[in-house]
Amino acid sequence: MSDDMHAVASRPELPEKSATLDVTRRFRDLRSVQWRINLGVLPSSPSASTDELRRVTADSRRRYARMRRRLLIDPHTSKDGSNMPDLAMDNPLSQNPESSWGRFFRNAELEKMVDQDLLRLYPEDGSYFQTPGCQGMLRRILLLWCLRHPQYGYRQGMHELLAPLIYVLQVDINRLCKVRELYEEHFTDKFDELSVHESDLTYNFDYKRFSNAMDIPSNSNENARKATSLSDLDTEVQQIVLLSDPYGAESELGIVLSEKFMEHDAFSMFEALMSGVNGSVAMADFFSHLPADGTNNSSPPVIEVSTALYHLLSLVDSPLHSHLNELGVEPQYFCLRWLRVLFGREFKLLDLLVIWDEIFSEDNSKIELRDAESFAIFGSARGAFIATMAVSMILYLRPSLLGAEIATSALQRLLNFPQNVDLKRLIQKAKSLQVLALNAASTLSMAPSLSGELDHRKPNVRGHSMSSDSLSPKSPLSLVPDSYWEEKWRVLHKEEEELSRSGSEKRVPIPTKKRGWTEKIRAGLARTESDPSPVQSTNVRKGPRATVRRSLLEDLSRQLGSDEGIEDVIPQDTCSNENTSSEDNSWVSSDTPDAEKSSALNDDSENYTSGESPLPVSDVPVESSAIMALDDNCIDKVEKDVKDQKPLLGKLQWLWKFGRGYPSEETADKGGETTEAPKSTDPEGSQNIETEPSVFDEIHEPCPTSKGDGQDLNMMGTFKNLGQSMLEHIQVIETAFQFQQERGHAGPLESFSKNVLVGKGQVTAVAALKELRKISNLLSEM
Amino acid sequence: MVLVLALGDLHIPHRAPDLPAKFKSMLVPGKIQHIICTGNLCIKEVHDYLKTLCPDLHIARGEYDEDSRYPETKTITIGQFKVGLCHGHQVIPWGDLDSLAMLQRQLDVDILVTGHTHQFTAYKHEGGVVINPGSATGAHSSITYDVNPSFILMDIDGLRVVVYVYELIDGEVKVDKIDFKKTTATTAN
Repeated sequence: MSDDMHAVASRPELPEKSATLDVTRRFRDLRSVQWRINLGVLPSSPSASTDELRRVTADSRRRYARMRRRLLIDPHTSKDGSNMPDLAMDNPLSQNPESSWGRFFRNAELEKMVDQDLLRLYPEDGSYFQTPGCQGMLRRILLLWCLRHPQYGYRQGMHELLAPLIYVLQVDINRLCKVRELYEEHFTDKFDELSVHESDLTYNFDYKRFSNAMDIPSNSNENARKATSLSDLDTEVQQIVLLSDPYGAESELGIVLSEKFMEHDAFSMFEALMSGVNGSVAMADFFSHLPADGTNNSSPPVIEVSTALYHLLSLVDSPLHSHLNELGVEPQYFCLRWLRVLFGREFKLLDLLVIWDEIFSEDNSKIELRDAESFAIFGSARGAFIATMAVSMILYLRPSLLGAEIATSALQRLLNFPQNVDLKRLIQKAKSLQVLALNAASTLSMAPSLSGELDHRKPNVRGHSMSSDSLSPKSPLSLVPDSYWEEKWRVLHKEEEELSRSGSEKRVPIPTKKRGWTEKIRAGLARTESDPSPVQSTNVRKGPRATVRRSLLEDLSRQLGSDEGIEDVIPQDTCSNENTSSEDNSWVSSDTPDAEKSSALNDDSENYTSGESPLPVSDVPVESSAIMALDDNCIDKVEKDVKDQKPLLGKLQWLWKFGRGYPSEETADKGGETTEAPKSTDPEGSQNIETEPSVFDEIHEPCPTSKGDGQDLNMMGTFKNLGQSMLEHIQVIETAFQFQQERGHAGPLESFSKNVLVGKGQVTAVAALKELRKISNLLSEM
Repeated sequence: MVLVLALGDLHIPHRAPDLPAKFKSMLVPGKIQHIICTGNLCIKEVHDYLKTLCPDLHIARGEYDEDSRYPETKTITIGQFKVGLCHGHQVIPWGDLDSLAMLQRQLDVDILVTGHTHQFTAYKHEGGVVINPGSATGAHSSITYDVNPSFILMDIDGLRVVVYVYELIDGEVKVDKIDFKKTTATTAN
């Protein structure tokens, strides 16, 4: 354990803060002092001198000592010190509430509850927290706090808030000991404050040095040389020395880093944390069942904060939010634990200290909320940061959450937060969201003009459009407000610009992220930076792209004037279900080939202000290589070509025409025909299949135009890759079909159209697949 | 801080219907760690009631007890003290200190608790304590006049025991206290 403590002393990397000696970083190496300042225990003004710090420390310790004497009672010692206690009142069985025995029993009950928790606190072998001394301290502190605040009582989790506070105190004291050893001479008893006596041995009898000197005569010379003055030491050591000078202000009681008064200090830190001194966030609120005063809602504060969290999540990442809502994952299931122990259970102790550093360095002063309806948690920077930290954690788990099909698995994921997380990223993300949270505390409207570092959030209009399932397919466009498309276009346009700027850099494959620029584009569609982990199987979890594509697909399908059947099938459901149901299976797998091709097209078509491309649903592994292979220039060109202001529908038709009229591909015609036939009965299937050639064509067509740029070889390479990936995905579809055939009609058939896919669509799909095979062969030959 | 309740000679239902109400209100579960009963409960219902107050219950057999399985004498170690239990009708003359001291030496205990006389007494004798908690119901006795309901609560804390005596006199609960310190610690067996 001591090794851990030593490790903590060297601070881990943190995002850069301003170099000025701002109050939050004054004692950056002495966490306990820093936290005490941040929590309000010690004066936080930057000009507070060491003396002031010491005085405040001494005061708080005196308060604690007084309280302890008062509240920790020994029933044997009679009250008021009188020798003749009133036995009728003071006997052990007395029912009198004032009797000291009564208090004793009440305390005993509390103690029992506290002990239950303490026994389970960090129970690893050799853990610092399980030593009797520490346990006793913890017990006393918790007991006294609960006695002081009887309205809260003791709740499970308070001990976990207290434990890291004691830990940092202990760490700092260890540090102090080490510094002491190194700089002995500054810790000698400067009783007379006369420097002339420093080197005079008759005044400074240090037995250790004496014995050393006896054994090794050379030592005395060394010691004499080491007598540097205080100002020569570097600042942090200086601080330590000044803070622990036993003759400074308030003498021993004022030694800021003192082992004797660890309990006192821990108590004051704990109290400050729980009551949120003068601030908006009081941890104690999270433990109470009653609504906080001054708010107009009737729910307990934890619930309120959880809803605030979800609200924030919906602003940042709407699909994930709605997905979780559908599953029925209420925020308080996991937020309760996260908030009550300030993420203490989710991270290792050392990571937790880093996070708490960030949390405490946020200002806790109350901010006037713009409107009374908004969530109280956003009423302070610290509160907002806590909320955004939680949101950032949820976003970190995005892939697995989206892939969860039942609430239990999602909750499992949330409650078992992965151990090795990239803290820096989490914190950075939380900080970026914090601005958002503070601004959008109540209202929903967001301007897309926010700085580019923030992830693009989906405009709310999207939410509307997604939920309006009852759109008549005949006139889809008119029902979707124009502003929606404009915004989309604007968003994507911005992304492209960034892309084209950074296009040349992206050529170099980024080792950590497999999908370089494609991810960037996708990220531009209001997804987070979470790494979608590489998908192993074809029947896959949907990655982050899925939701966007899904929604875009939905829009597209509406536009295409597809039959009613589509709406039901539209993967709002597939979102939530895994590909286990046969229908979904076929639906999804039939999408998979599109995934590859369409991902290329996808990114292009995203420039069409969405909706147009037939958007596949799932992640497929190989696509990345295909995409990466695609020449950036080529795509850029495509983008720019495509971006030319064609009306939406016009573009769409252009796509179709492409598919139909492609000269060298007789298959395209067949593809077109095949699409006609099943179209009436099997819209989805046709969509996929028809668009596949169109997709392919689309890529194929513009690329030759850019051949003029003199990158023929690249083209060839890309074609080959394309062909290969197409082949693979064709195989995928085929296997899926077979799979589906085996499965038969098991599983509920949600819509008639799905049924149809199973029947007729299969035939047509298989035919189309064969066509595709031919195409791919052609490609690879080229 | 071990609380031990010592009582006995309730004689329910033969001579008394129940414990006095004031006593019952004081005896709540959860505070007491052990119960020592001198005997003469007499029926199982009383036994069950005492069990609800505290699961650790020790009873010695009195002459009117209907359950014949209780032992004649019992020795318990609580904290640093050895406590002996006997009903007392076996020790004659009834209530005589010297005879009881003989029994104490025989059992080798620091605290001897006996009953039968329905009269509260507490003697410090030869480095030990001989206590009689009296009758908790104030049941009639042929050897004592004007029986007052009484019982005893012992607070054993290290080498010190504080004996609280609760008596119901004229309808009021009166409490008294006796301190007793042991000189040497009991060696663990």
